[in-house]
Amino acid sequence: MEPLAWYIAGPLIGITVPVLLVLSEKQLGVSSSFRALGAFILPKVEYFNYDRRKDVWQLYFVLGILTASLILFNFTEIGLPPEKNASGQDFFQAYDVAYLPAFLIGAIFIGFGARYANGCTAGHCIMGNSQFAKSSILTTVFFFVGGLVATHFIVPFIFTT
Amino acid sequence: MKALLYLILGIFFGTILIASQAFHWNRINEMFHFESFHMFGLLGSAIATGALGVWIIKRFKLPSISGKPLAPKRKPLQPVGNSVGGLFFGLGWGITGACTAPLFIVAGLNWQIGLVCLGGALLGTLIFGLLKNKLPL
Repeated sequence: MEPLAWYIAGPLIGITVPVLLVLSEKQLGVSSSFRALGAFILPKVEYFNYDRRKDVWQLYFVLGILTASLILFNFTEIGLPPEKNASGQDFFQAYDVAYLPAFLIGAIFIGFGARYANGCTAGHCIMGNSQFAKSSILTTVFFFVGGLVATHFIVPFIFTT
Repeated sequence: MKALLYLILGIFFGTILIASQAFHWNRINEMFHFESFHMFGLLGSAIATGALGVWIIKRFKLPSISGKPLAPKRKPLQPVGNSVGGLFFGLGWGITGACTAPLFIVAGLNWQIGLVCLGGALLGTLIFGLLKNKLPL
């Protein structure tokens, strides 16, 4: 399937920011859901011993994201890219259990980095940049630096066919 | 009732990330190779739309639906945390081809990889919580 065009998808993602604010005074964010989960697992650690009620809403939000993916992938073809890319070459198949260790390490970096940076792509890149926050602009730059380094210097050595 | 609202908004947010393929490893890999404008257009127009929304709320001092004044806070500048944390996050983004919300989408696509991704992100969060007092911000 062809992806939903960026000029439709982008504004629909962005509109979540004012919708969340107006409907329930919440600032868009996703990664704090993991802090709220941490509060159940390590409640005695200072960082997790906090008023998790302010983050619990994100658990429902990510449950919704998971629900959308279970429905769409089980009953439709939506979201799956075509077999070949624009230049006619086969798309690389990264979702293979052979790469589980790479996904594990990458995900640990995501969890650690999102908390250390105080936000992820949702909270910094979309919400924070929508407010022109210095912290979010700086963080976004380093998200891309990290992504470029990983894509060009790490991925070619791990994701080999 | 609020829980249902967040669930529905999550389904909406997830559906757009799926339909636009923004969650997909290949799209993120493509973005970091500058091979396609798709992801840049998507992120750029998402930020522009969000900024317009925040601007309208501030300009017209719009209250929330329950009548409370809205004053969205900027995240505080934490130069070391933002840059070092951002770098770690970016490395993970490049490797897994997913940021945080897409990890939940990958879970619906391939439960083995998804479970490992969600477990890994939780583990990374726990590691940060344990080390927090030793890390400079």
